[in-house]
Amino acid sequence: MDPQGEVTRLLAAWGKGDPSALDQLIPMVYAELYRIARRVWNRHQLENTLQPTELINEAYLKFANAEISSYQDRCHFFAVACTAMRQILVNHAKSRLAAKRGEGRERIPLDEVERAADQESVEIVSLHEALEALQAIDPRKSKVVEMRYFGGLSVEETAEALGLSIGTVNRDWSLAKSWLIREMNRKA
Amino acid sequence: MNPRTRWEEIERLYNDALDLPAHERKALLAGASPDIRHEVESLLSVDCTVGLNGPPVYLAADLLNGQPGRLEPGDRVGSYQVESLLSVGGMGEVYLARDADGKRVVLKILRRHLIANAQAVDRFETEARAASALRHPNIVHVYEFGESDAGLFIAMEWLDGSTFRTIMDAGAVQISQAIDYARQTSGAVAAAHAAGILHRDIKPENIMRCKDGVVKILDFGLARHGRPVGPDPEMMGTSGTITGSLSGTLLYMPPEILRGEPATSASDVFSLGAFLYELFAGKHPFAAATPLDVLAAIESRLIASAVSTRAGIPVAVDRLISRMLDREAACRPTASEVQEVLEKDKPAGL
Repeated sequence: MDPQGEVTRLLAAWGKGDPSALDQLIPMVYAELYRIARRVWNRHQLENTLQPTELINEAYLKFANAEISSYQDRCHFFAVACTAMRQILVNHAKSRLAAKRGEGRERIPLDEVERAADQESVEIVSLHEALEALQAIDPRKSKVVEMRYFGGLSVEETAEALGLSIGTVNRDWSLAKSWLIREMNRKA
Repeated sequence: MNPRTRWEEIERLYNDALDLPAHERKALLAGASPDIRHEVESLLSVDCTVGLNGPPVYLAADLLNGQPGRLEPGDRVGSYQVESLLSVGGMGEVYLARDADGKRVVLKILRRHLIANAQAVDRFETEARAASALRHPNIVHVYEFGESDAGLFIAMEWLDGSTFRTIMDAGAVQISQAIDYARQTSGAVAAAHAAGILHRDIKPENIMRCKDGVVKILDFGLARHGRPVGPDPEMMGTSGTITGSLSGTLLYMPPEILRGEPATSASDVFSLGAFLYELFAGKHPFAAATPLDVLAAIESRLIASAVSTRAGIPVAVDRLISRMLDREAACRPTASEVQEVLEKDKPAGL
C-alpha cells in the first residue's frame, strides 16, 4: 500500500477507537515532518526561525492529496502531527542538553539563535514532564497544550482539530497554562 | 471527594473567577472548601506572561539546521581533515580538525545556504579578517579563511582550556592570578585598538584561559575597523526588543551603546571593565533579575567599589576598574593605560 493510503487507513482505524493505529501513525508522520522540514528550511534561511505549524501544514498537504479528504480525517491528522512534533522537539531538546552535559571541553556558543535554543530546550523538557502529569488529571487540556505550543496551532485550528468549541479551547488553554507554569516553577 | 469531581470543581470555579473582576472573586470562592479555594487562588495567581509563549521557534530552527550537510569524521575541508563536531549553532558548526601536518585546528563552517545571507557572510568574514590582521599572543590565531564544498570556513588555532564564564562560575579567582589574566586581556584589547580594530563583544564567554595559563580573546564576529557603527541589530531580538536570552550580552554593554550611539574604543574598555570587576570582585557590577533591571543598572546604578565586595584587591586596580566603568566614555582610560597600570601593579600585587 502506498504511504498515503496507509496513513488514511490508520487515521480511520484510530478514529474508530483503535489506539495501536496511533502508534504506527506517529513514526510515519515523524519521518515525514523531518523530510519536509529540510525542504521548508531553505525558504526560511534568511529569517533563521521557523514556525512548527508551517511544517504541519506542509505535511498535511503531502498526505492530503486525495486521501485525507473527510473533515474528520483532517482533524485527526492535525492531532497526530502535533503529537509527532512534540516528540521531535522533546527528543531534540533532550539530545541538545545531553550533548552539552557530555562535552568535556568548552562549548563555544556561536550566536544568539543557539543561546535561545538552549533556553527553549530547558523549557521544553520541563514542560514535557509537567504535561505528562497534567495528562493524568485532564487529558483534553494536555492535548490542547500539545496543539497550541508544540504544534503552533491557533486557538481556532486547535478547536477544529480537536472538535471543541473556541470557548472551550480558550478556557482549557488558560487553566492548563497556569497549572503547567506553576508546576514548572515548583520543580525549578 | 474523588479526584475527578475535585478537579471539575476547581475548573468550574477557576473559569467563573476569571470572568469576574478581582474584588468579586473572593465572594465566589468563599463557598468552596478550603482545599479547593486554596488551589483555585494559587492557579489564579500564576503569572502567565512568562513561559509557554512559544512555539519554540529557535529550537525548531536548530533542529533543522543541525541535520543536513553535517560533516563526518574524515571529511576534508580545504586542506583540513575533520575529526569531531565541537558545537552546532544557527550559523553553522564548529569542528575539531587536523591540518596537513597533523596539528589540531578549529574549523568554523558557515552553512552553505547562509552564503545567500549577506549579514551572516559579513559577520563571518569580519571575524576572519579582524583576527587574522592581528598577530598577538593573547588573540586567537586565524590560519585561513576560505571556501569549500561545505561552505565558507575559518581555520583557527585550537585552544585547550575554558572560557572565563566557566572559570568564574566555578568559584573565586585568586587575586594574584586575576591580575595576570587582566594584564593579558587588556594587552590584547590594546593591540587590537592600536591596529584600529574594535572587538565590540568583550565578555567572559569570549575570553579563554588555556591550560598553560595563557589568556586568548575569541570571537571577532562583531569586530569593526575603527569606523563607528550604531547598535548592532544582532544584539537585539528578532522583533527588535531585548529578549531574556540576551541578558548575558547585555551585562557587558556600555551605556552609550544602549543609547544607540556608535561604539568606540572606550566602549570596549567599559565591557572589559565589567569583566574585570566580575573577575576580581566575584560578582557582576550590573547583575539584576531581569534584562530591564540590567539596563537600569548600567544606566544609573551606583556601583560599589570592587574592593568593598572582596578584600585584598590592590587599590590601584580597584580605582582602575571604577574608571573603566565610568558612564562618560571620555573619562575612561584607554586599553593601553589599563595594561600599563596592571603591569606596574604586578609586583606589588603578587
